[in-house]
Amino acid sequence: MFTTDHNNHAGTVTTPGVVIPFYVYAALSFLWAVFLLCISPAGRYDHYFSPHTLAITHAMALGWGTMIILGASHQLVPVLAEGKLYSHRLAYLTFILAGVGIPLLVYAFYTFNMGVPAKAGAILINSAVLLFLVNVICSRPAAKNENVHVVFVITATCWLFMTTFAGLLLVYNFTHPLLRENSLHYLPLHAHMGIVGWFLLLITGVGSRLIPMFLVSKYTNIKQLWWIYALMNGGLTGFVLLFLYVRRPVLYFLPVACLLAAIVIFICYCYGCYRERIRRQVDGQVKISLLSVLMMIIPLVLLAAAIGFLLTTTENTALVLIYGFSVFFGWLTAIILGMTFKTLPFIVWNKLYHVQAGAGKTPSPKDLFSSRLFNLMALSYLLGFLLFVAGVFAANGGVVRAGAVLLLLCAFLYNLNIFRVTFYKPGWR
Amino acid sequence: MNVKTNHSIQCTVALALLQEVIDPELGLNVVDLGLIYELNFYEEEKKLDVLMTLSTRFCPMGQSIQDSVKTQLENNFPGYTVNVQLTFDPPWSYERISMEGRNFLNA
Repeated sequence: MFTTDHNNHAGTVTTPGVVIPFYVYAALSFLWAVFLLCISPAGRYDHYFSPHTLAITHAMALGWGTMIILGASHQLVPVLAEGKLYSHRLAYLTFILAGVGIPLLVYAFYTFNMGVPAKAGAILINSAVLLFLVNVICSRPAAKNENVHVVFVITATCWLFMTTFAGLLLVYNFTHPLLRENSLHYLPLHAHMGIVGWFLLLITGVGSRLIPMFLVSKYTNIKQLWWIYALMNGGLTGFVLLFLYVRRPVLYFLPVACLLAAIVIFICYCYGCYRERIRRQVDGQVKISLLSVLMMIIPLVLLAAAIGFLLTTTENTALVLIYGFSVFFGWLTAIILGMTFKTLPFIVWNKLYHVQAGAGKTPSPKDLFSSRLFNLMALSYLLGFLLFVAGVFAANGGVVRAGAVLLLLCAFLYNLNIFRVTFYKPGWR
Repeated sequence: MNVKTNHSIQCTVALALLQEVIDPELGLNVVDLGLIYELNFYEEEKKLDVLMTLSTRFCPMGQSIQDSVKTQLENNFPGYTVNVQLTFDPPWSYERISMEGRNFLNA
């Protein structure tokens, strides 16, 4: 009746030493990016192509979003693929290359020096992404049925590489004209390959596995996930082709419709998981993650409005800026804030307590972080996000500044909790 | 709770002990979670074989849960060699959660 697993072990879990540095780096990047947001003059939030905005965007997209996702992926890919991580050495190299490359690139944008710092930063980041791609592809077990979650992760990583490679070309294009148009022209292409291809695709792929797991839900619907995959990739590929070869703004509504359909299906999927959950109580970390799924709608509405402006008048730069803000400081930050405390405490707990397994009472992983700090962080985040968006809409510098300060408080509290978990010592309470 | 055994009395004792081994995420014990498939006692050889599963293969907490089961039984069945074997055939499903387990998660 039962067949034993001939490996007879619970799987080779990725060494915590590989994963934790990514989390710490991302936390510090978040604090740094929000600090830059606070010290930038409020009046500068009128165009997205300004040195400060580019620096903040890249600190958020690469230092915060990408680094934490890379770290979590080294832990989660083996879980999703039911295999083990191909190489710890590649993971360390990915961390070092990206860890050096990101500050170089952000510094280059902040000072708008597109010379050596920008080029070196972009090359290092591309090398890191390439190594990560190799590690993910090789971690995928051979001769198995295709796992939808792993397909999401691999495809998203391919889009990430295309994004960073396009970024490298754009950096070089500043000093050596390689492309037909100037770098600003290609910015929407670079940005959307990253936002949709990397962040959205990866987060839906991984979230569709983690959300039912954390809710203890019986709900499963692989067909829905394949639809989401097809709509997101189809929409993004369509956008790239339209942008490069057609350039008729009215047609951009087609990829937006595809993405909207994909997000609506994903919301239905998450709702299905929520409705059929066995565990009644939903903790704060999962609540904020579910909220982030709903928040995916905001940038899409703003994007549709921005395209509408393109059709009628000219580009509405403030709207485009809020669109970018609602991606990086909106759903992306919200899901990271939630999921961090559903993953990192477990990784640290495993490191500290797995040798004491069954030998007596141990704290639970959720005891490793402070729920009070988490709740305060969530509150300051939501208020900060709303105030900042309202301030930019109303062109009110004081409200923008108040939003930025609340986001700084959120980043500070997040860092406090991250360091509390990372340096947790048995016996602390 | 559907656990196969060759010794029902010893099995009851072992299952009571294993109710102290908790899944760290859910806070629910491995017995009510339905992770234990078989418990077989070989008194002459002083051997105890456990056949169990995990909610997912390569579960990050899997090794810790497996070690906890082994330590708990070794500490309470002195002299016995405890052999914990994993299986994913059949895979674990939510239907394996006991009524007590469902009540706990519903609370």
